[in-house]
Amino acid sequence: MSIRKRSRWFPSALFALALLMAAMPLMAAFPPVPALRQRVNDYAGMISPATRAEIEQKLAALEAEDGTQIAILTVPSLQGEPIEEFSIRVAEAWKLGDEKRDNGVLLIVSKGDRKVRIEVGYGLEGRLTDLESGRIIRGVIQPAFAKGDFDAGFTGAADALVTAVKGEFKADSSSKGKDDSPSIPLVFIILLVLFFYLRMFGGRRHGGPYVSGGWGGPGGGIFSSGGDSGFSGGGGGFGGGGASGDW
Amino acid sequence: MIRHITRVFPFLLALVMLSGCGYNTMQQNEEAVNRAWGDLESQLQRRSDLVPNLVATVKGAANFEKETLQAVIEARAKATSIQLTPEMLSDPDAMSKFQSAQGELSSSLSRLLVAVERYPELKATQNFRDLQVQLEGTENRISVARQRYNEAAQVFNTSIRIFPNSITNSVALKLKPKAYFKADEAARAVPQVKF
Repeated sequence: MSIRKRSRWFPSALFALALLMAAMPLMAAFPPVPALRQRVNDYAGMISPATRAEIEQKLAALEAEDGTQIAILTVPSLQGEPIEEFSIRVAEAWKLGDEKRDNGVLLIVSKGDRKVRIEVGYGLEGRLTDLESGRIIRGVIQPAFAKGDFDAGFTGAADALVTAVKGEFKADSSSKGKDDSPSIPLVFIILLVLFFYLRMFGGRRHGGPYVSGGWGGPGGGIFSSGGDSGFSGGGGGFGGGGASGDW
Repeated sequence: MIRHITRVFPFLLALVMLSGCGYNTMQQNEEAVNRAWGDLESQLQRRSDLVPNLVATVKGAANFEKETLQAVIEARAKATSIQLTPEMLSDPDAMSKFQSAQGELSSSLSRLLVAVERYPELKATQNFRDLQVQLEGTENRISVARQRYNEAAQVFNTSIRIFPNSITNSVALKLKPKAYFKADEAARAVPQVKF
């Protein structure tokens, strides 16, 4: 009787324990990355609704025009973490920009720490250089924020960022594709080998499973380019480019 | 039916051995480590390329401290003379040598930036400020690349240790664990100029 009883709760207790242990490393680190809700994520309440709508519209227009995604995040505090580290964590989670072109930019502001950072995706580092990011921070954001005029600072920053990144991808749409798409001969050879293998070992019914086993090819499949209500990143990569500042 | 199975068997066996023993996984992981290392190296190179500009700009300032500049120049020469190819990543000694040379460059640069604080007119020039921003950006990229390298190395090191893989590795691949690129505090502190 007692054994039967035990066998009921034991597996679920074990499962709970395993879950807890899996979650432990996550809990140890700095605060979790805030959710990406729209282009302007004002968790610190720094931007007025009118300005927010205006910036949203500008950034959406930019994305519609050439695919570049710019998002803004404000937080009340960094809770002791350097802004560079927080910012790269957010950038890695949000994945702004698309997977091939890495054309995303994140403007991140901590109200309590009076710190600001522009994090630039790999694909935009050529146009929005560290220098350019630094100049936007020092020339546009700092003066406005120092006066307490956050709306002007964010509007000015959004305009400056849009101007800086615009046109980055008009000319060179073909330059990046080479290194990540497998070459045609390689694909051809693989198909040929597969074909003969299946021919030699017969059975049409066995065709399916063979193919799935061997290669761990590019996995990325879940794409959801932002609609109107839900905004989400497209898989863009960041490598720590950009600049930081304070006010 | 049985003929069918015997025909397919060798292929199935090969498949199970290849995917189940971690042969491919370990090699993929090693490739990821090499790629991460390549990134880190190119960021270190980028920093090294900034130094001559920085030295030239600072030299122009009236009687700037010679020793501080000299230390940067020497540290850069030393750091560029020590290279680490992907094959040497499993060699902890080579890695620690490489790391200490890069660390020396980091700390000499940070001393240079502190020294510049005493030359307000130099600090105010657009040229120097631009260089400082570039240097900060590069330091940040280095720290991101270093973290990613360490993560890749950790994944790889784990993958050659866990059970079925460890046997495959000792029999067939004989891969050695990769050394980590430790964060040294001096390097992390470079962008901030404190007193």
